[in-house]
Amino acid sequence: MAIHILGIRHHGPGSARNVKNFLASIKPDIVLVEGPPEADPLLKWVGHQELKPPVAILCYRPDAPQQSVFYPFAEFSPEWQAILYAQTQPIPVRFMDLPIGQQFALEAPKDDGEASTEIPAGDPDPSSGTDKPAIENAVAENPVPRATIADLAKAAGFDNDEKWWDHMFENRAGEAPVFDAVSEAMQALREDHLSTDRLEKCREAYMRRCIRQAEREMFQNIAVICGAWHAPALANMPPRKEDDALLKDLPKVKIDTTWIPWTFQRLSFASGYGAGITSPGWYDHIWRYPEDNGIRWMAKVASLFREQQMDTSVAHVMEAVRLANALAALRHLPKAGLEELNEATLSVLCNGEPILLDLIRRKLIVSDRIGDTPADIPKPPLQMDLEKLQKRLRLPATADWKDYTLDLRKDTDLERSILLHRLRLLDIPWGQQQTTAGKGTFKEQWRLQWDPGFSIDIIEKGSYGNSVEEAANAFVIKKAEGSASLKEVTGLLAGALPAELSRAIDGLILLVNNLAVAGTDILQLMEALPELVNVSRYGNVRKTDADQVLSIVDSMTARICISLPAAATGIDDEAAAHLHTLVTALNEALSLLQNEPLTLQWQQTLQIMAASAHTVPLMAGYATRMLADRRLLAGPDLVKAFHYAMSAAVAPAAAAAWLEGFLTGSGSLLLVDEELYGVVNSWINELDGATFTEVLPLLRRSFSHFSPPERRRLGEKARTGGGSPVTTIIAAGFDTAKARLGIPVVLQLLGLTTEVHTQTLNDGNHE
Amino acid sequence: MSSILRQHAEQLFALELEELQKQDSGQRPPNWKLSPQSVVDYLVGAKLKNGFEVSPKYIGNRRLMEIAVATLTTDRALLLYGLPGTAKSWVSEHLSAAVSGDSTMIIQGTAGTSEEAIRYGWNYARLLAEGPSEKALVETPVMRAMKEGKIARIEELTRIGADVQDTLITILSEKTLPIPELNTEVQAVKGFNVIATANNRDKGVNELSSALKRRFNTVILPVPDSIEEEIDIVRRRVESYEAAMQLPVEPPALQEIRRIVTIFRELRNGVTQDGKTKIKVPGATLSTAEAISVVNNGLAMAAYFGDGTLKAADIAAGIIGAVVKDPVQDAIVWKEYLETVVKTRDDWKDIYRACRDL
Repeated sequence: MAIHILGIRHHGPGSARNVKNFLASIKPDIVLVEGPPEADPLLKWVGHQELKPPVAILCYRPDAPQQSVFYPFAEFSPEWQAILYAQTQPIPVRFMDLPIGQQFALEAPKDDGEASTEIPAGDPDPSSGTDKPAIENAVAENPVPRATIADLAKAAGFDNDEKWWDHMFENRAGEAPVFDAVSEAMQALREDHLSTDRLEKCREAYMRRCIRQAEREMFQNIAVICGAWHAPALANMPPRKEDDALLKDLPKVKIDTTWIPWTFQRLSFASGYGAGITSPGWYDHIWRYPEDNGIRWMAKVASLFREQQMDTSVAHVMEAVRLANALAALRHLPKAGLEELNEATLSVLCNGEPILLDLIRRKLIVSDRIGDTPADIPKPPLQMDLEKLQKRLRLPATADWKDYTLDLRKDTDLERSILLHRLRLLDIPWGQQQTTAGKGTFKEQWRLQWDPGFSIDIIEKGSYGNSVEEAANAFVIKKAEGSASLKEVTGLLAGALPAELSRAIDGLILLVNNLAVAGTDILQLMEALPELVNVSRYGNVRKTDADQVLSIVDSMTARICISLPAAATGIDDEAAAHLHTLVTALNEALSLLQNEPLTLQWQQTLQIMAASAHTVPLMAGYATRMLADRRLLAGPDLVKAFHYAMSAAVAPAAAAAWLEGFLTGSGSLLLVDEELYGVVNSWINELDGATFTEVLPLLRRSFSHFSPPERRRLGEKARTGGGSPVTTIIAAGFDTAKARLGIPVVLQLLGLTTEVHTQTLNDGNHE
Repeated sequence: MSSILRQHAEQLFALELEELQKQDSGQRPPNWKLSPQSVVDYLVGAKLKNGFEVSPKYIGNRRLMEIAVATLTTDRALLLYGLPGTAKSWVSEHLSAAVSGDSTMIIQGTAGTSEEAIRYGWNYARLLAEGPSEKALVETPVMRAMKEGKIARIEELTRIGADVQDTLITILSEKTLPIPELNTEVQAVKGFNVIATANNRDKGVNELSSALKRRFNTVILPVPDSIEEEIDIVRRRVESYEAAMQLPVEPPALQEIRRIVTIFRELRNGVTQDGKTKIKVPGATLSTAEAISVVNNGLAMAAYFGDGTLKAADIAAGIIGAVVKDPVQDAIVWKEYLETVVKTRDDWKDIYRACRDL
């Protein structure tokens, strides 16, 4: 009987090659791989045509999906090669790590349920939170403390432990003694760094138990694939009793497992993956083309450059390869590695400018490859539904971002948009909506980028329903029911409309109505109303029934109109300013709606506010101005109101606030609206010197909100005595005969008849 | 000590080159005096097996020097590129000294450099008397380097007119120099290569044609990464200068060098060393080389007009001269820097006063 312990580095192409060759030479009758035993049933899929690495085994607690662990595999992972070998032989293959269920349970007392609180529900980027703790605790973590390997590397004269490992073990051409050497090196390290971690002890004990179990089952030739760090612990078996004592009464939780697609991006060290590697794309390259002396790699670089419109000739490739090999020789390396190739690229292809190296890093060294999993693998139903939709709508999940412009008048595009909106409501931010360049409301622009971490969100949201629609409906309703804020619920409603979640929309409308009726806070109503108005307008575009929304808008407007005058009295400056912004938004929304009865109601409210002496000056000024805009207050009445508000008896601060409200956002309006300008101008003209000095600071304050060009032009206008400079220019070079010829065309373009035209023209002449 | 003002690298460091040669066990490319590894050691400094210390000539990234040396072992030429004063010519001189033991095959590129200066010229007296012959030919450094299998250096390659630059193409790709007048050619002996330098700050330069560019591997020499690195460079160069000039002066305190380097770095990067205050950047390059010359200048001032120790007053003029290249724009920048940064530093009072009084 023989037990072969193969200590490897996770995702090391050299290790993978060694493992492959070694297994072929010793012909084991069982293979044990470091990994979660819960995933044993998944092993039969390895070798399936549609299971394309990079993929990962996802282990999660069905009752708390956010506590999860990923076991990623690339084609060049030694574990993957070992499993593949076993499947093709076929011989039994098993995972032998401590079950994830027990690892979770072991961590639980430590974290005290923290795992679930670690990721807030609304975290926009759950990926960053989810796998980090998991990976650090359990996943194929780099089991060797980096510092210790660095010691060895330093002793060998390398400045970087990765490099040392690459040159010692990964780039080696020979095979068998490598594993003995690894084991020996790790043995030496382990003697220096005695581990006290209980989890690690338990894991190694469980691995030994698995080996014993295999022995008992009369397997003769056992191959064990494990992280290099564990190799010595498995080679020297302590008495069985000790291990059993360690593993006795370990708590356990239920675990589900599945295959999910993975990306090279997530495999890289930069993504926060503990056992990550810096260059998955490069490893993939040397796995596929072990004999490549740099030519094939440089050819890849050259073709990438050519795609980017950079002239790159064959001679460039030759020279770069030559330089890389010269560098390797200079550094006493058997062959050019990634560093040499990069330096050669920099010097030969990029003329020394490092900017383009970033492109190589992104596209080739890390590369944006994404794996694939067979459709018939048992998966959570929500995931299945999503994959079906992705296939039908031709929206493949890609690792690199891709932009889509959707024309909502087309059925497929509309469905795509609905799907993306639904996923967004489910807090799965696969698509980011971007602002489109004009062209109406029927166009949407999305940027899609898949993150393998979404898998875990999908599983979590699976508890809400088995299809995307169902889950989104249930999730939105649940979220809305948990919320007491009208604004939040209307926000959800605004999101649910383009997602066409009819069930949720009904529920939300009901909820909005209830909250609106029950709500005593008029400010909340005002915050929500503009959104609702938008919803009702947008709903029409999306063929959604928005009548219900309109009726809510109706009732809410009525209630706002009734309470607003009272709400605008007896508040401090800060509250007044807040109210002012709300009323501005509300005013815009109501103007957009163009609903006669509502507008009328709103005008009455404005009149009350303007007339009441109790209204805070800011709001009173604003209301007066709104009335002036609507021509409800004009001529002498307006002048009277203005003078009244600005009279000497009014406290300067109040007058200033009134003026501020009155002139809100009207810099350009003052320039073109002669009446408004006349009111302000004549008032200033009537002031005597002393009073003018007094009100000057107030005026300055109000005018300071205007943009500098507006202020400059106002000054010019005041200097010329109010005459509009535009009119004078027209009078100077105006050829009436020629203008007359052009007018019919303009009118036709505007859709007006020619009868009107003569009239207009005559008016023009009189001016 | 010899009366030569400045000795060539291969003379100044003859001992080091000799020791390296003795200890060198690596394989040498044909006609190289040292193996590539030893050339890199010579440039960045090393301790040999017998304990002999080789001083560093280039302080910075070893990998850059490796690329440069590896390039020379291939058939591509080397182009050292970078801001003025980033040790391009210095590296080029030491590279050729270490590789060929001879750094004198040099052509200074100017706008007036003609084809005759690169390929060959004629001794017209002889040409008229004897007709075209080998003897009437005037060899250029490039031709000599080709015949002897050594490194030819071309300084400021981009200042040479584009048409003249392109005469290098045949030399670099075919490794031959045709002489149609004599119906003969000079074929390069193994070991021949070209090191060119060019800077990327100057205006009015002639970009290399892409055909020529393709014959060069480019190595960009950066400005020093850290202040410590830069101080180290300045200190070493100043010490060697002092020895050469036999100045009756104390070696400058590290403190003084640090201040100069700090001023240069801050003005170059447009931000104070602590990263808190933004500073306007003057038009001057403010390279390490200029910092070195400011210190040297200050040492001379101290030796002959001062009390023999380097004081703030001795370097003030040098600093202003290096910073203020444009009398209007740069003067404003400098004044602002002086008032907002230098003045606020407690232990910089002397330098503030010295600069303000000028």
